[in-house]
Amino acid sequence: MAAELTQQLLNWLVLGCVYALLAIGFSLLFGVVNVIHFSHGDVSLMAPFIALAVIPMVEPLFAHSGAAIALTMAMIVAILVIGLLGILIEHIVIRPLRGAPAMMPLVATVALGILLRELIRRFYPEGSSPHAFSMPFTGSAFSIGEVMVSWFVVVELSITAALLAGLFFLLKKTAIGVRIRAVSQDREAARLMGVRSDRVFKATFFIASASGAIAGLFYAGNVGATRFDFGILAGLMGFSAAVVGGLGSIFGAVVGGLLIAGAETIAQSVIPDGAAYRQVVAFLLVIIFLLFKPEGLLGKVVVEKV
Amino acid sequence: MSTQSTIKVAPRRAAPIVLLLETSLAVWLYFFLILESWPILLALLILGAGALLYTQRNHAIQSAIAGSFAQCKTLSLVWATVLVLAYPFLLQGNTYILHLLIISQLYAVLALALNFQLGSANIPNFATGASYGIGAYTSALLAIHWGVSFWWCLLASAGVATIFGFLLGIPCMRTKNSYLALVTIAFGIVLQQLINNASWTGGPNGLVGIPAPTLFGHSFSDPILIFGQSLPSQVNFFLLAFALIVVSVVVANLLHNSRVGLAWNALRTDELAASAQGINVTWYKMLAFAVDAFMAAFAGTIYAFYVTYISPDNFTFLVSVTIMTMVIVGGMDNVLGVILGAFLLTILPEKFRVFSDYRLLIYASVVILMLIVRPQGLIPKQLRHYKG
Repeated sequence: MAAELTQQLLNWLVLGCVYALLAIGFSLLFGVVNVIHFSHGDVSLMAPFIALAVIPMVEPLFAHSGAAIALTMAMIVAILVIGLLGILIEHIVIRPLRGAPAMMPLVATVALGILLRELIRRFYPEGSSPHAFSMPFTGSAFSIGEVMVSWFVVVELSITAALLAGLFFLLKKTAIGVRIRAVSQDREAARLMGVRSDRVFKATFFIASASGAIAGLFYAGNVGATRFDFGILAGLMGFSAAVVGGLGSIFGAVVGGLLIAGAETIAQSVIPDGAAYRQVVAFLLVIIFLLFKPEGLLGKVVVEKV
Repeated sequence: MSTQSTIKVAPRRAAPIVLLLETSLAVWLYFFLILESWPILLALLILGAGALLYTQRNHAIQSAIAGSFAQCKTLSLVWATVLVLAYPFLLQGNTYILHLLIISQLYAVLALALNFQLGSANIPNFATGASYGIGAYTSALLAIHWGVSFWWCLLASAGVATIFGFLLGIPCMRTKNSYLALVTIAFGIVLQQLINNASWTGGPNGLVGIPAPTLFGHSFSDPILIFGQSLPSQVNFFLLAFALIVVSVVVANLLHNSRVGLAWNALRTDELAASAQGINVTWYKMLAFAVDAFMAAFAGTIYAFYVTYISPDNFTFLVSVTIMTMVIVGGMDNVLGVILGAFLLTILPEKFRVFSDYRLLIYASVVILMLIVRPQGLIPKQLRHYKG
C-alpha cells in the first residue's frame, strides 16, 4: 500500500513537472503577448522529433564521449530550435493578428497546430507512426522503500526546479525580464518608456517555446515514444493547468500543473477505467475554476475600466 | 453612424441583374462540383475570387448589385429557390455530389447558428460541434430505443440542446472573451469524452441503425418521384436540408432586424456601453447560446437520420473549429458570406482529393492566410440599413 502510494506520488510529480512547464508557456504568452497560443502543445512536442533528427548529425562529433552526451546535445539543439520556431511563429502568425479580436489568433493557432502536426506526419520520415524516444538517463538512482526512483525522475525534477529558479531570476533581475514584466503590465506605458514591445514579444515566445520544448522532451521520455499527435493532449493539459493556476502567473502555472496532474493521477488510480476520464476530470476542473474563480488560483482580478 | 447609401437602380435593369448574378453563381457552383481535374478547378476558383474582388473594389458595381437585390427581393428569393431545386435534376445519378451538397447545407446551418454568437454578438463559442452532437445523439437515442419519429426527434433534440445551450450560457455571467472561449472548449471536450466513454451512447462505436424518416407515408430512404422523374434517395435529404437553410436564413434575418439583433450588435461594439444603455447583457448572451444550440440541434438531427450512423468522432473539438472557420472565412455577421464559407470549406477539401494526403495541411494554411490577409472574410459585414 505504502509502496503504491509512493509510486503514485512519483507519477504525480513527474506528470506535474511536464504540465507545469507547458503551462508556463501558455501563461507567459497570455500574460505578455495577450494571446492564447493554442498550438503551444504541438510546438513543444516537436522537440522530440527534432532531437531524433539531430542525433545522427551530432553523433560523430561526440563519438568519443558516448551516446548519452550526444543525445543530451541533440536535445539542447532541439530546445534551441523550438525556441527559434517560437520566434518565427510570432513573426508570421501572431504579429499580423495583433489588435484583432481575441478569437482571431486563437483560431489561427488552432489551425497552426493542425499545420505543425501535418508537417510532421507528411514530411518527417515515417511521421505517422510512433517513434521510440528514450532519455539518456536510465537506471535507478535510489529507492524509497520498495519503489525504485529512476535517474530520469531525478533529472526531470531538478531540471524543472532549476528552470523555474532561472525563470524567476530572469524575470525579476535582468533587463529583458523587467521589459517583459513592463509590457505585460501596460503595453502602452511600456512603449512610452522606450520598451520595444516587438522584441519583448519575440523574447517571450522564445522563452515559452524553449521551456515547452523541455516539457515536450520529458513528455516523450516519460511515454518512451513520441507521435505526431501527442501535442494535442499535451497542449490541452498544459493549457488547463495554466487556466486553473491563473493565466499570466508563473507560480500559478506550477500550482496548476501540479493540481491537474494530481486530479489526473487520482482519477487514474481511483476510478475504474480512469484513464479514459483523464481529460474529463481535468476539464471539469477548468470549468469549475472558470465559474467560481475565473481569474484562476493566483491570477490577477481584472476590473474593466471605461 | 452613417447609413449606407444605395444607388437607385432602374427596375428595368434590376431584375436582369439579379437573375444573371444568381444564375451565374449556380452555374459556377455546378461546374465546380461536376469537374474533376484540379487545374480547371483552380482556374474556376481564381475566376470566382477575381469576380468577388472586382465587385468589392468597384463601389459603383457593388452598390448597383445591392440596390438591385433590395428592389427585387421576392424575385431573387424565388429564383434562388428555383435554382436550388433544379440541382437534383441536373445532378441526377451523382449521389456523391448530392451527398457533398447535403453536408455543405448542414454545415451552412451550423455556421449560421454560430454566426448569431460569433458574428452578431462577438461571443467566441467553441462548442457548436457539441450542440450538434447533442442534437444528433438525442435524436438517435430516441429513434433507436423508443421508435420516436423523425419529426418529434427534431423538436425533442432542439429542446434538449437548448437546455444545454442555456447551461453553457451560465458561465458567460462570470467570464468573457478568452476565458469564455475556454469554458466552451472545455465543455465541448468534456461532452465528447463522456459520450466516448459512456456505454448507453455506444461509446466509441457510436450508434447504428437510425431509421429513415417518413413523411405522408413516403420513406426518405426510397427514391423520390418528382415530375415523373425518379431521383435518388439523397434528394429527400437535400430538400430537407434546404428547407432547414431557408428556415435558418429567415430566422437570422428576423433576428438581425429585431431588437435582439440590435442588442447583440451593441454588445459586439461595446459591452460596457451596451449595459449602460439598459441592455441586459447576460440575458442576451445566454439567448445567443440558446439560439445557437437550437439551430445546431436541427442540423444534428438531420445528419443523424441521413447517415444513419453517428459516433463521437463526428462531433469533436475540430468540428467546432471548422464551423468557426467557416464563419470567419465567409464573413462574420453576413448571412450570405457565412453560407458561402460553409460551402467552400466543405467542398474544397473534397474536390482537391488528389492532394488528399496534404488536405489538412492545405486547409490549415488557407485558414491562417485568410485570417492574416483578409480578416473581414470573403463577404464583409454590411452596415446596418436604417429605414425612415
